[in-house]
Amino acid sequence: MIEVHELRKVYGDRTILDGITASFARGQVVALVGPSGGGKSTLLRCLNGLESFDGGAVTVGGDRLVPGGAKANRAALHRVRQRVGMVFQQWNLFAHRTALGNVIEAPVHVKRVPLAEATERGKALLARVGLSHREGAYPHEMSGGEQQRVAIARALAMDPEALLLDEPTSALDPERVGEVLDVLGALAADGLTMLVVTHEMRFARDVSHRTLVLHGGRIIEDGPSREVIDHPKHERTRAFLGLDRR
Amino acid sequence: MNRLWWVLVLAMAVLSCRGRAVVVGGGLARVRAAGVLRWGGDIQGGEPYVYEDSEHGGRLTGFEVELANALARELGVRAQFVQNDWSALIPTLERGTFDVALNGVEVTPQRVGRVRFTRPYYIFGARLMARRNDPSVQPTLASLRGRRVGTLANRFSYELLRNVAEVVPYEGVEEPYIDLVQGRTDAVLLDDIIAARYGEPKPELRVVGDLADGYYSIALRPADDDLRAALDAALARITASGELERILRGANIFNDRQRRLVTWTDDDQRRMLGTAAAGQRFGWSHVALFGKGALVTLLLSALAMCLAIPLGLGLAVARLYGPPALSRIAGAYVELYRGTPVLLQLYVLYYGLAPIVRLNALSAAVLGLGMNYAAYEAEVYRAGIQAVPRGQMEAALSLGMTTPLALRRVVLPQAFRLALPSVTNDFIALLKDSSLVSVITVVELTKQMTITAVDIRGWGLPGALCALMYFTMSYPLSLLAQRLEARLARS
Ligand SMILES: Nc1ncnc2c1ncn2[C@@H]1O[C@H](COP(=O)(O)OP(=O)(O)OP(=O)(O)O)[C@@H](O)[C@H]1O
Ligand SMILES: [Mg+2]
Repeated sequence: MIEVHELRKVYGDRTILDGITASFARGQVVALVGPSGGGKSTLLRCLNGLESFDGGAVTVGGDRLVPGGAKANRAALHRVRQRVGMVFQQWNLFAHRTALGNVIEAPVHVKRVPLAEATERGKALLARVGLSHREGAYPHEMSGGEQQRVAIARALAMDPEALLLDEPTSALDPERVGEVLDVLGALAADGLTMLVVTHEMRFARDVSHRTLVLHGGRIIEDGPSREVIDHPKHERTRAFLGLDRR
Repeated sequence: MNRLWWVLVLAMAVLSCRGRAVVVGGGLARVRAAGVLRWGGDIQGGEPYVYEDSEHGGRLTGFEVELANALARELGVRAQFVQNDWSALIPTLERGTFDVALNGVEVTPQRVGRVRFTRPYYIFGARLMARRNDPSVQPTLASLRGRRVGTLANRFSYELLRNVAEVVPYEGVEEPYIDLVQGRTDAVLLDDIIAARYGEPKPELRVVGDLADGYYSIALRPADDDLRAALDAALARITASGELERILRGANIFNDRQRRLVTWTDDDQRRMLGTAAAGQRFGWSHVALFGKGALVTLLLSALAMCLAIPLGLGLAVARLYGPPALSRIAGAYVELYRGTPVLLQLYVLYYGLAPIVRLNALSAAVLGLGMNYAAYEAEVYRAGIQAVPRGQMEAALSLGMTTPLALRRVVLPQAFRLALPSVTNDFIALLKDSSLVSVITVVELTKQMTITAVDIRGWGLPGALCALMYFTMSYPLSLLAQRLEARLARS
């Protein structure tokens, strides 16, 4: 349902993404791994139009993003973002809203869902990520793990067809990582399409169906997760995984 | 808190020590010893009193310059001009900055009780002017009952009009006639010299008549009575010799009224001075007027802020998120309004634009202050918006919000919270800046204070009360700002 074709992204004279082509099927859980600076975050941000790009195209459902930023993509951008949710490494919860307020904000004001209905839905979503008891808490009153789970619930509230997650656990204390991974595992089991940038090889191997290795702006390895992680073909992948296991 | 009260009490104590003459007695000897007669005046009063002649390299000119020179010569000394704001001539005289005030100082009961006056050197008529097409204004005070009449605050004419007409007090001599032409007032009552120069040349206006005679005299400190006597004698000599007439004719202001100067007697002098008004006591009626002034100040500031907040928000958003052209316009607005004095902006808005849009004084004041403060608010919000982490906007966009919706629902509410302490502080500053609107005839707290100070011949109590009222209005706001800042620091 997401097609990436020859995607190129340049910062000044540095090529960050150097012709990425890939397609992601509905229901697929994909792990995006690779060394720091390989372009993982940039790719993810291009997929929902937070970042403009310089060549190629991104197609989500029937909507196509092309180079040229917001000007060139005005209509498509809006629809793509509603179809593809995003969860940030730093959560980015709305600081002036409670957990529930964060979750219902977009349904009420973008989709115009009646408040009562959105609230009911929001509470159900918070329950799903195990935060029923934190509905009224403000972001600064919550732990990182709680905030990340609220961020996931907030993205889910827009009924996205796919979810993009950028290192959802890397900013968390080790003891909080599990609670977020559990939620992601449950979502994967429910058949949600997910593209997850991660350094958690256990998660990549056990939960994701497919793993992509990004290096220097290119996909250097792409295959079923167990195969890629247990028997990497590319020497750089081996180096990267070796480092990671140490 | 305690310390604050002490500062306040101390300030009031300092203020209530009335400025008394520092120099005592022997004025004549002092002037002779110094060899100069220092006379205070304001060149802004313009022609024909004292002014800088632009055709002669800014040389000091005017009939009062010639008069001062003649009198100094009679005393055997040199005359030296000291520039001073007209409205503060008497207090400055009392401080001892110059020996005499000689600049169209009219003999009014309030001043008689405060300074010594020589015999007059000019007799003027309080001249009433109205629009040519308005026959309803008659040459009597009674016909002015309930009408809007322009004049200068605390002048002879102002005293005549009080309790009769709705007085509109101006601070310059040209503006009353501009507003009369514009229809903002029904008539103007001012000294004939002023009327002849600034009112009569306007074809839309007509002279209705002269309502009363008034006198220009030289004012001195009570302690300098010997100097007063010497000046009286000198004046009598140059009046008798015809020199005064020649000076007045030179300025084109001699008329039949001035013949009385030649036959001036002690009785005339007594009649002119009248019974020295006992000086009003500062009482509840004044406090009530101050209350009204404070209300005007508060209302004005609140309305101006109500304009400045949304306008400033619009400017900040336009500057940060608008298309390039709009962003540049918003930037230019901010720089223009911050880079020029509010006083000038008020002036342009009220007088300059009068032929195009005729705002009443209060609307012009609200609009002028509001538009000025919008520039400052815009910068406060811009800083606030930029202090909201980028991730907030990105999160909103990633949820399918458009940029305007994300701004409205996510970024601005947070930016506003960040900006709130500064906005509160700006409101406090605005409370005080609002006193500038007296140039466009709005009588607010400070203007009320200056008017009352003249009435009761003292700045102490009115000044202290005025300060107290400003403090009462701004201190709670200041506390609020502190509390908001503390709350912000905690979250
Ligand atoms: N705004 C920017 N301007 C210039 N260079 C940038 C910008 N954003 C990212 N880059 C560069 O692009 C490259 C890819 O960055 P990206 O964040 O996509 O890497 P990443 O794979 O997510 O790395 P990490 O694992 O550290 O998050 C990096 O070299 C980075 O320095
Ligand atoms: Mg990254």
